Amino acid sequence: MDVSGQAHDSQVQALYARWLDIGTRVSFAASLVAFLLYVSGAIPAYIPLETLPRYWGLPVGEFLRQTGAPSGWEWLRHPGGGAEYLNLGCMALISLVTLVCYARVVPALLALGERLQAALAILQVLVLAAAVSGVFAGGG
Amino acid sequence: MIHAATAPWWIWPLALFAVSFAIGIVAVLGGIGGGVLFVPIVGGFFPFHLDFVRGAGLVFALAGTLAAGPTLLRSRMASLRLVMPLALAGSVASFAGAVVGLSLPTDTLQTALGVTVIVIAVLIAVSKDGYTGVVESDALGAALRMKGHYQDPALGARIDWRTHRTLAGFAAFGAIGFVGGLFGLGAGFANVPALNLLMAAPLKVAVGSSGLIISIINSSAAWVYIQRGALLPILAVPAILGVMLGSRIGARLLAVTPAQTVRRVVVVAMLLAGARALLRGLGLWT
Repeated sequence: MDVSGQAHDSQVQALYARWLDIGTRVSFAASLVAFLLYVSGAIPAYIPLETLPRYWGLPVGEFLRQTGAPSGWEWLRHPGGGAEYLNLGCMALISLVTLVCYARVVPALLALGERLQAALAILQVLVLAAAVSGVFAGGG
Repeated sequence: MIHAATAPWWIWPLALFAVSFAIGIVAVLGGIGGGVLFVPIVGGFFPFHLDFVRGAGLVFALAGTLAAGPTLLRSRMASLRLVMPLALAGSVASFAGAVVGLSLPTDTLQTALGVTVIVIAVLIAVSKDGYTGVVESDALGAALRMKGHYQDPALGARIDWRTHRTLAGFAAFGAIGFVGGLFGLGAGFANVPALNLLMAAPLKVAVGSSGLIISIINSSAAWVYIQRGALLPILAVPAILGVMLGSRIGARLLAVTPAQTVRRVVVVAMLLAGARALLRGLGLWT
């Protein structure tokens, strides 16, 4: 057991930083490519860009009602359903980076005997997984 | 303002990129997250509904802090040991704040946002940086081993630190997380004083750890907006790209720009944007 906590600070921080670095670079690159495909028209949009300004000033509920656009995980049921959903997938990737980093450091914390920190990391993974699932958001 | 009905669609993502780029520069120089400028400015002066602006604001703050995270962790300016318990409290509250925010009437939310931003601007204007020295850990802080060290190049010395008032810290980060989720803000403006003034973390560790906390808290709240369909790529992606580029320029300008000048610019921008949100919420300037 690492009583001083020095191993946690050096090894675990470095591990988290490495995964954060990779995850961030990959998700940002994917977002840029997906956005270029969207605005260039290379992949057709579910809501054509020319008509989008008619709807983007509406509250989200009204926007979804008038456009018939899927929300949350529903967009997975629309294969090829629009470039904006490819972009949404990339933003979901950005929002998943933290969950992946936390999941990665749990075994390292347990190996160092940092049970309390490992428990906190597992709880954080559960909170993020609940957010991803949409069970408490009332969507998807 | 360009009339939303007549302007071609591509004007808005270009304008968003430019505004986000400028906010990225000012946010780094002012030591704030940027969401606190992004949401009232874009919500007040752009044609997008506040639901979509708040969703983009969360992703905006998330992108900036994720990009800075690896450097902050490697230099030990951010402490994962300090961040993990506080971010857990904050992300649960932020999740709740986002759910509440999406169920409130827009006018109420605009008014509350305006008041919040103006209060924050006043707090930034009157606050002072307060390094409190090394303190004794409380029982909970000791159990969580909330302590560490970093090498300060400016002082040429190793700085050892520990924190106290851990329970009060949990409560503060719960409250900050709720407000952040509610309005789509990064809430860096509140994280730093909570870590530095309340818990006695050194200012550099407070600033670095605040960024990491925002990245964790916003990862949870962003999913509420994704699930509810309140994230528009045409708004969010130019904002992400703009803030990333702006932050890099801001980091380079940091060494040569007087801190007092930057603080004044941030406060004036926040007061204007907050007043606009308040007047819009009250129906006095729609």
